Amino acid sequence: MEFAESLRLSVRAVRSHRLRSALTVLGVVIGVAAVITFVTLGTSLRADVLGQVGGERSPNLYVWAGPEGQNGGPGAGAQPVFTTRDLDQLANIEGVASVVPRGIVPTAAISAGNDTVAQRQAIATSPAYFDSGSVADGRAFRQGSREVVVNERAAGLFDPSLSVGATVSLQLASGDSVEAEVVGVQNSSAAGGAFEGLDGGSQPLVFVPTDPFYRTTVESPATGERQRVYPTVTVVAEDFAAVPDAKVGVQAYLTNRSDAARLVPDDYAFAVRSDEDLVDQLQELLTTLTNFVTGIAVISLVVGSIGIANVMLVSVTERTREIGIMKAVGAQNRDVLQLFLIEAVLLGAVGAILGIPVGVAGAYLAGEYIGLDLVLPYEWFAIAVAVGVLVGVVAGLYPAWSASKTDPIDALRYE
Amino acid sequence: MATSDSDAGGTDSEAGGDPGPDAEGAGSEHRQPESGSRPDDGNAVALRAVRKTYYLGEPVHALDGVDLVIPRGSYTAVMGPSGSGKSTLLNLIGCLDTPTEGEVWVNDREVSALSQRERTRVRGQEVGFVFQTFNLMPKLTAAENVALPLVFEGIDKRERIDRATELLDEVGLADRAGHRPNELSGGQRQRVAIARALANDPAIILADEPTGNLDQETGTQIMGLFQRLHDEGNTILMVTHERPIAEYAQRVVHVLDGTIERVEEIESPRRVESDGP
Repeated sequence: MEFAESLRLSVRAVRSHRLRSALTVLGVVIGVAAVITFVTLGTSLRADVLGQVGGERSPNLYVWAGPEGQNGGPGAGAQPVFTTRDLDQLANIEGVASVVPRGIVPTAAISAGNDTVAQRQAIATSPAYFDSGSVADGRAFRQGSREVVVNERAAGLFDPSLSVGATVSLQLASGDSVEAEVVGVQNSSAAGGAFEGLDGGSQPLVFVPTDPFYRTTVESPATGERQRVYPTVTVVAEDFAAVPDAKVGVQAYLTNRSDAARLVPDDYAFAVRSDEDLVDQLQELLTTLTNFVTGIAVISLVVGSIGIANVMLVSVTERTREIGIMKAVGAQNRDVLQLFLIEAVLLGAVGAILGIPVGVAGAYLAGEYIGLDLVLPYEWFAIAVAVGVLVGVVAGLYPAWSASKTDPIDALRYE
Repeated sequence: MATSDSDAGGTDSEAGGDPGPDAEGAGSEHRQPESGSRPDDGNAVALRAVRKTYYLGEPVHALDGVDLVIPRGSYTAVMGPSGSGKSTLLNLIGCLDTPTEGEVWVNDREVSALSQRERTRVRGQEVGFVFQTFNLMPKLTAAENVALPLVFEGIDKRERIDRATELLDEVGLADRAGHRPNELSGGQRQRVAIARALANDPAIILADEPTGNLDQETGTQIMGLFQRLHDEGNTILMVTHERPIAEYAQRVVHVLDGTIERVEEIESPRRVESDGP
């Protein structure tokens, strides 16, 4: 029996039960759409996140000491363990260009003019933090000066918004108040460094020089002097090629000879991550998340395929007599099998094809809602159609097989 | 010619469509297999010592040692009470079933020995079924129903359409080609079914109570159509329980309890006067 003729007969059978076929197809549409929606969102989320992180890759190593086994983001659970001596030592490691400490100055609020805005913390760091050219307006602060750099978001909290030359008053958590001059405004689109998190640019950030603002100190175990001590450090390698060696050097120094090694609590471990590591870690996390959600969506696809199997079983029973007729006029088992299988595949494939735009529409709506730019996973569209066909085959195989095995004598007698 | 042709060569002349010699020479026909004739000597159908046993707790012989020869071009009716084995006989000849013992020959081929696949082929090519309940495919048009056997033979579409049109024209339904069965009357449906039975130019037409679901006038029209098909040289085997219908045939095989009770020759079969559909 020609394929075209089987297809024609199957199409006719499907169309003769419009509502039933439509509902069956709907089951597959929902299943495929769910998978497409979540895969699209997953792909888009990954592209979005990696675009933010991986977009401006730098030869940086992010160093902190966190609870052992913890798999959080950069700086998670960091304790202040890196002394000024450690910073100097780190800067001497081969392949290291500079070492930028980062600490937190707890604050209560910032005032400018008549405006007072609550602000939990200021980030104390060195001018090298801005080496990447992220200051859009003005310049980086100088060590030892009462100068601050704010990002655009923080500048915008005030009316009129802060600009270079403005004077702000930092109200420290200790209750003291310190006057400082705004010398630079950081571009909001600058991510703000890995320690500021993925959405660093969207939070108000205030940067101050470690001297004089950062006051967290400890007695250096190596020198016996009281020194500033930082929870997180960015080690900038000379170039990307130097990153792996620098990483090894930094790790070796920290574990063996650093103040940090002595200061660090027992069950804490040093983390030295390059941008690459962070991206990998993130990617892994996002993949797990996407797979999990897609897995849930696959359940609805399975339900859809059960719908096909169910309808096909009903269809076979209902058309027992037709099967008998076909066999009486010379249809081979294989012809009957082919007919019913094509019918099931038709339901699955049509469901998958309709499910793709529905899924993309769902992803579009969800993307709008959470403000995510969509990246369409085109290869998944092909996979969806293939899965639709496969679902049809799997769901239709048993019904079609039982149809083909129908005894024509019984079938012709069937009422 | 009269006595010898029933033994060996009688069917040659009958294949030409002349019912005369058969009616004359068939007095000894029910003894034919025993008298040494081979079952494959050019008959449309031959059954030899066929037994069909069903095991429903204890063995039930639906057919118990049946010998029957249906010469080419003959018109045979099978009568018998329900449960006598008529349907089993039809199923065996139609290759829908296989005998427990014995041989079934259709168009010089022993079909009882064939695989299921091959039997299906024989069924499609050598046998045309006509049923009491018409058994048309409800979603196909008249023309598509007629062409259905050709689909499974792998005949090309253009040829199928030509053949279906020709056959519908022959049964007087050329103007109903595009209608679905539910748009046709009972008589029209049965004529579509007959056209379908003829699609592959079968060796034998097997009709199971073809007038059972029709009123008398329509039934007579169908008998008129059968008569014309027979006149044109087709071999017909018809199961019926109505004596007047059976009398359209050249001979009536009476089946009882799985055996052939007697074969009755109809001296002058009934004729439908105007057989135009």
